[in-house]
Amino acid sequence: MALTDLVLQQLVNGLVLGSFYALVALGYTMVFGVVKLLNFAHGEVYMVGGFAGFVVLSVVSGALGSGWTAVAFSMVLAMIGVGFLGVVIQRIAYQPMLSAPRLSILITALAVSLVLQNSILGATGGRYVPFGADLGFGGINLGNLFISHNQIILVGTAGVLMLSLELFISRTQYGRAMRAVSIDKDMCRLMGIDVNRVIAVTFFLGSGLAAAAGTMAGAYYGSLWYFMGFLIGLKAFTAAVIGGIGSIPGAMLGGLILGLLESFGTMIPGVGSAWKDVFSFSILILVLVFKPTGLLGKSEQERM
Amino acid sequence: MVGGKNILAMNREGFARMSFLLQKLAAGLVLATSMSAYAAAQDSMTIGLLVPTSGSEATYGQDMANAAELALEEINAAGGVLGQQVSTIVGDDACDPQQSVNAASKLASSGVVGVVGGYCSGATLPTLKIFADAKIPFVIAAANSTQLIPANSGNAFMINSTGNDQVARALEYFNSKGVNTIALVDQGDAYSQDLANLTRQRWEESGKTVATSETVNKGEQDYSAVVTSIRSANPDAVFWTAYYADGGLLIRQLRQAGYQGIIAVGDGSNSPELFNIAGSSAEGVIAFSNPTAEFLPNAKAFVDSYTAKFGHAPGPYAPLTYDGTKLLASAIEEAGSTDPAAITEALKGAEFTEGLAGDISFTDENTLARSNFIVLEGKGGAWALAE
Repeated sequence: MALTDLVLQQLVNGLVLGSFYALVALGYTMVFGVVKLLNFAHGEVYMVGGFAGFVVLSVVSGALGSGWTAVAFSMVLAMIGVGFLGVVIQRIAYQPMLSAPRLSILITALAVSLVLQNSILGATGGRYVPFGADLGFGGINLGNLFISHNQIILVGTAGVLMLSLELFISRTQYGRAMRAVSIDKDMCRLMGIDVNRVIAVTFFLGSGLAAAAGTMAGAYYGSLWYFMGFLIGLKAFTAAVIGGIGSIPGAMLGGLILGLLESFGTMIPGVGSAWKDVFSFSILILVLVFKPTGLLGKSEQERM
Repeated sequence: MVGGKNILAMNREGFARMSFLLQKLAAGLVLATSMSAYAAAQDSMTIGLLVPTSGSEATYGQDMANAAELALEEINAAGGVLGQQVSTIVGDDACDPQQSVNAASKLASSGVVGVVGGYCSGATLPTLKIFADAKIPFVIAAANSTQLIPANSGNAFMINSTGNDQVARALEYFNSKGVNTIALVDQGDAYSQDLANLTRQRWEESGKTVATSETVNKGEQDYSAVVTSIRSANPDAVFWTAYYADGGLLIRQLRQAGYQGIIAVGDGSNSPELFNIAGSSAEGVIAFSNPTAEFLPNAKAFVDSYTAKFGHAPGPYAPLTYDGTKLLASAIEEAGSTDPAAITEALKGAEFTEGLAGDISFTDENTLARSNFIVLEGKGGAWALAE
């Protein structure tokens, strides 16, 4: 394989991986923007989303088959279901803690993460669950470069979801309210904005996007596991920080950058795949040293 | 609350009384068995079994004890050893180094002519000195850590292959398929890195090329970057040295990306779960594995009589224990007496060809002279013996 082909192939790999990171990172960044909470249960929401998609798929596969149509249908239902799960988690676990010290709510988030993880562990007995989608191995060959149809659909879907989110935030009334709440919650209350409702919508959207990523991951990688959310949760959090936590375009950019860094990290001569995380996390440190707010983050001033 | 505490206290008292009774009972039992063993040692022959019959590994240990019992039943039916009937006495090592020392001492003091067993390497290690001091020949059936080799003073014989042998079998397989370049993928932990490093060393010593060595993170789902590196290096075979969970994902992604060479996995990945994860991509994947009864062509009759006698299929180390028991019996027969030195000598020179898991003869270090690793192939969503 020639070097140009190799670079292009890693570019494709990085885009696919980055799309997953970006979708999950969006949930982190939105929740942080609105309630200043690092929702460490978010990786688990991604995992539950994968299982929700699996359940829907096994119900509808009789009528819709197990191709992309069925996966898309499962994805939409999983997004809605897990979106509501996100709202329920927020109401039960986070709402009572909103005025408590920041550390308490962070620990609550870890607890939620353990609850979700262990529920699925109990339900699956810790075994791997085959997702059951049959998406085929087809693709486009450009010389040595191979791009599968699945990769194109996946990156395309992620793109459409992110674009819709961007439009929702910038064009709708709820979007405007979300932006306002992230700037000043108390002022929003005075202006008659239903802050709790806005927070609920934020959790719904964030969890829904994670569920979309979870379902697509299940379909694309072929199996689900109760622990699959842990590492991607960590990586997506990193992506959100690189892009500037609280910034929505930042999360998308951060996700793609981290995905690309990890892919190209395996190509450094004499270093190889064992060191790819060292490479990508060194970049994270550099970003934070030179731009502590992240690439697209705004510096925040505490006002009295 | 008070009532609850009372109940708790009563329970605790009850437990104490019960465990006291149990201790008495156990002491009585031990006394009874060792006395009967002494009695037995005078007019017949006793073989000791050192296996874990309690603790976390109890199922494997019981399974090994069953296999030894079955072997002796057949031997006794055919007239016994040196014209004497052979009985067994079990020493429960509980897979625990301290308890195994007690169990070994008990066996050594019961006048056994030889010992078969050894499941956990850690629990087997401290017993070597006890059996060496008592000059009792010891056939180690399952434990296969390379640490056992230097601790052996000459009376112990390992009939299971060590990790070194897995590499030997893997290279033999690759060579038989005309493989010239391989890619090694590990998971960054001691076990998988050791296997990968050892394979690389031996492979390069034989003058062949390792096209690329990769490491993946445990628990990551996307291995596309590594897959691309492998495809660009284009090796004839890929050897995954770690466990099935991430191996399944890697195999699937390799095949999806269009890699068409041989994919082989080590004994950490020969689980049926691999087929859940990799799906149809696991078809034709090669796995190296210690011999288990279901894949041994000679073990058909053994599986049938075991299942008939014990009501369930034999576990992974039953065939080796069965072989070990028969090997010891044939060595005693060959020695012509129960003199430990003569039996040890007979074992050293053993050319045992009746094994379920293949022929047994030993190296200078008293380890199995050949690799007993078998080669499995993924067929129709399950493992089958590769040709």
